[in-house]
Amino acid sequence: MSVAGISSSAKPQASRLVAILVLAAIVALVAATPFLPNYHIRVVNSLLIYILLGIGLNIVIGYTGLLDLGFVAFYAVGAYTYALLASPQLDLHLPFLLIVGIAAVLGMITGILLGIPVLKLRGDYLAIVTLGFGEIIRIVINNVDWLTGGPKGIARLDKASILGVEIARPVEIYWLLLVTVFLVGLFVWRLERSILGKAWAAIREDQDAARGIGINTTNAKLAAFATSATIGAIAGTIFAASQRFVSPESFTLQESVLIVLMIVIGGIGNILGIVAGAAILILLPELLREFAEWRILFLGILMVVLIIVRPAGIVPRTFGPEKLIRGLFGK
Amino acid sequence: MTLVFKNLRKQYGANVAINDVSTDFAPGLIYGVIGPNGAGKSTLINMTAGSYSVSDGSISLDGRRLDGMKKHQIANSGIARTYQNIRLFDQMTVLENLEVCAYPAEVYNTWREVLWPPYGRERAAARRESAMEILRFFGLEGYADAEAGSLPYGRQRMLEIARALAMKPRVLLLDEPAAGLNHHETAELTAKLAELRSPERIMLVVEHDMDLVMTLCDRIVVMHHGKLLFQGTPAEVQASSDVQLAYLGTDNDIDDIRAAAQDRRAQLGIRARRRS
Amino acid sequence: MLGTFIQQTVNALTIGSIYALIALGYTMVYGVLRMINFAHGEMFMLGAYAAFLVLTVFVGDIGAVGAFGLTLAFFGAVIAVGFFGVGIERLAYKPLRNSTRLAPMLSSLGVSLTLVTGVQILAGPQPVAFPSFFPATRYDFMGGTVTSVQIGILVAAFVLMFALYTLVNRSRMGIIVRAVSESRPTAQLLGINVNLAISAVFFSGPLLGAAGGILYASYYGIMSPTMGAVIGLKAFTAAILGGIGSIPGAMLGAYILAFVEVGGTALLPLITNGVLGTEYRDVLSFAILILVLLVKPAGILGEPVSEESMVYKREF
Repeated sequence: MSVAGISSSAKPQASRLVAILVLAAIVALVAATPFLPNYHIRVVNSLLIYILLGIGLNIVIGYTGLLDLGFVAFYAVGAYTYALLASPQLDLHLPFLLIVGIAAVLGMITGILLGIPVLKLRGDYLAIVTLGFGEIIRIVINNVDWLTGGPKGIARLDKASILGVEIARPVEIYWLLLVTVFLVGLFVWRLERSILGKAWAAIREDQDAARGIGINTTNAKLAAFATSATIGAIAGTIFAASQRFVSPESFTLQESVLIVLMIVIGGIGNILGIVAGAAILILLPELLREFAEWRILFLGILMVVLIIVRPAGIVPRTFGPEKLIRGLFGK
Repeated sequence: MTLVFKNLRKQYGANVAINDVSTDFAPGLIYGVIGPNGAGKSTLINMTAGSYSVSDGSISLDGRRLDGMKKHQIANSGIARTYQNIRLFDQMTVLENLEVCAYPAEVYNTWREVLWPPYGRERAAARRESAMEILRFFGLEGYADAEAGSLPYGRQRMLEIARALAMKPRVLLLDEPAAGLNHHETAELTAKLAELRSPERIMLVVEHDMDLVMTLCDRIVVMHHGKLLFQGTPAEVQASSDVQLAYLGTDNDIDDIRAAAQDRRAQLGIRARRRS
Repeated sequence: MLGTFIQQTVNALTIGSIYALIALGYTMVYGVLRMINFAHGEMFMLGAYAAFLVLTVFVGDIGAVGAFGLTLAFFGAVIAVGFFGVGIERLAYKPLRNSTRLAPMLSSLGVSLTLVTGVQILAGPQPVAFPSFFPATRYDFMGGTVTSVQIGILVAAFVLMFALYTLVNRSRMGIIVRAVSESRPTAQLLGINVNLAISAVFFSGPLLGAAGGILYASYYGIMSPTMGAVIGLKAFTAAILGGIGSIPGAMLGAYILAFVEVGGTALLPLITNGVLGTEYRDVLSFAILILVLLVKPAGILGEPVSEESMVYKREF
């Protein structure tokens, strides 16, 4: 790679071009969406929710190197918090922002509760236990009928409103999601570059050596779980508010696996990778309309191929948002 | 400031790896730990750093017991170590390998770092400068933004020591730092390690390379079958018949070996070398 | 009272046998490759579908199939799935043998998804009626009822497990497999054909799993593309409980889990006065899985891994 200070980008022109193209594509999509028909806006909203989920899970999988296969648990916590606090179910109708705050806290607590027992487990056992937790949460939701509505779920959730402005139409949800994804993405991006982010990277590389330089790996891992769970819960809350309906069917094991696939295929540890993965996950069935079923089949095969051929994912870790920005300014 | 081993014992089932070792280490000196393979040298480092548990006895720094503490607590008490098999953070850059050592001191400022960019920039710049200083000392500043795993082997060894120094340690434990290095690299390493001598630092070096040990170390600790066989200056160690026995075998064996060596030289027509 | 007890015991033995057949696959693969094979549950599912396919294609009228046709379907299906398992290993896991520790597991996630959705596309996502491989007779035994399906399952399972046990402990192939499980590098240095050993494991594991699938589908009369998921996880729990990597452990864990499940779901409504019912059966096995991994990951018959020998290098 680079020795004696020689810059590694041998083709600054090429990376500048790529940066401009990618940014242009993103800007075009962002600007054009409000003018698309409702159906397409809903697709973009779905994409944004998966990007949000991916950003959250990526903290644990991509930054810290822990394979969490039960991420939907936090997604469900957020969704059902909204469902219970803004619907006829318990006849509570709290304001949206308050619910987001409560869901974030509940998510964080759940993340810590899940994190504490799994911290000392080896990678594959950690994956299994997180998977088990995710399933337990789903089964419990499915069966505590009187509270969660069981398999039927909870319907007729309130419309969200912030400071008197109602957020119910797809385009309004779109703006909400766009702002949320941007803010959360910015926060997580800065978190990765902070000292905590570096500690997570060290844990991922060699947990024991990380302890050897004084990192309290237990606390650092808990912080990762807590942050990722909080983001998952926030995503769940917005999801519930946009659907105005929740049921256990949205929180299956396959959902957890798909989010993991999305990150691994798109590019582990990299926000741009998550965007790429989510795009593949959501936009693919739109392009292959009659073959929508084949989407998951295709993803499964893609996963196997990539793990063998390009385990870092489609977008490498080093090609992050900072690369885009630097490429734009030709550095 | 003293590092004290008191009646240290490490047992794996029926195998006693460390058997009643007691000694202490003072700052300002470089201690070499030598001994035949399996003597327990690396085990001592692993126990001090907290990688292995202590079966009996104690390890203390300035009166504070280290054994029983968690690995990161020991590290934060001022113990830094390198590993026999290099354990760098391969995919992180050389700079990041050092910068991350600031974690214990700075983790609680993470919120400010993230939410208030000017503070974040200031901290990042400070960490970078501290790291660069250490890199310059080791001549590694040119590799600053390279992936640690991409460095040549000899540079990686240096980098591990640099990372240990980034912890601002009171005790520096080096586990075979010269393993796999050629003559030139070993000489470079010896010179650098000599510069690290400090009245505020206790240094232990486990090594097989006798040239390095005899040149560099002020005191040498000889381990054998888990016991502390002998301690002293390099001259004393070289003169000690106990040590010679341990490395070469029993009395009888030494004579046999010498006789066999003479025969061989005669066969091959080599004149015996006179050792002065 | 005795009748219920006999009944429940037979039920537990039956379902335990099926768990055991699948658990053996997990444990053997873990033994040779130190890998958790997420796609193994799908071998269970493929067994049922393969048998159904053989019956419809080669035998014709499913309603009038005789013993010969059923035997043909059974053996044809399990052997086909065996070869399929070997093929999957070559394609999806072999290239990763020297990669990071979790790479094969991630690959198996992909394989699992591919197989489930593949079957869903080819055969439809809805459950399909599955013919029973045994005559529908019931026997009264000390007050409890035992069906011939259950007897058939017990017999088939015992025969297969005995065959595996003999193979592993008395044959040359068995020695090779055990050597590779102990230490692959050493086995390679000794000139042992490691690829053959691994292929043997990926043949017999899926074969047993497929047999389990056919027996399960016979028992419940139904098969679906997702049937491998939950059963797979339970069989995996059984393997972990008994000690992953240990063949006797897998069998032991399977029967213990089955008895705990059957007993637990019988007692759960009684203990909690109807608050928690039989639908929490699955939670029970997850809880056991989590508890074992947290408290004693080596399981009952497994070898404890000492903290100091564990390596913490990057996992995927």
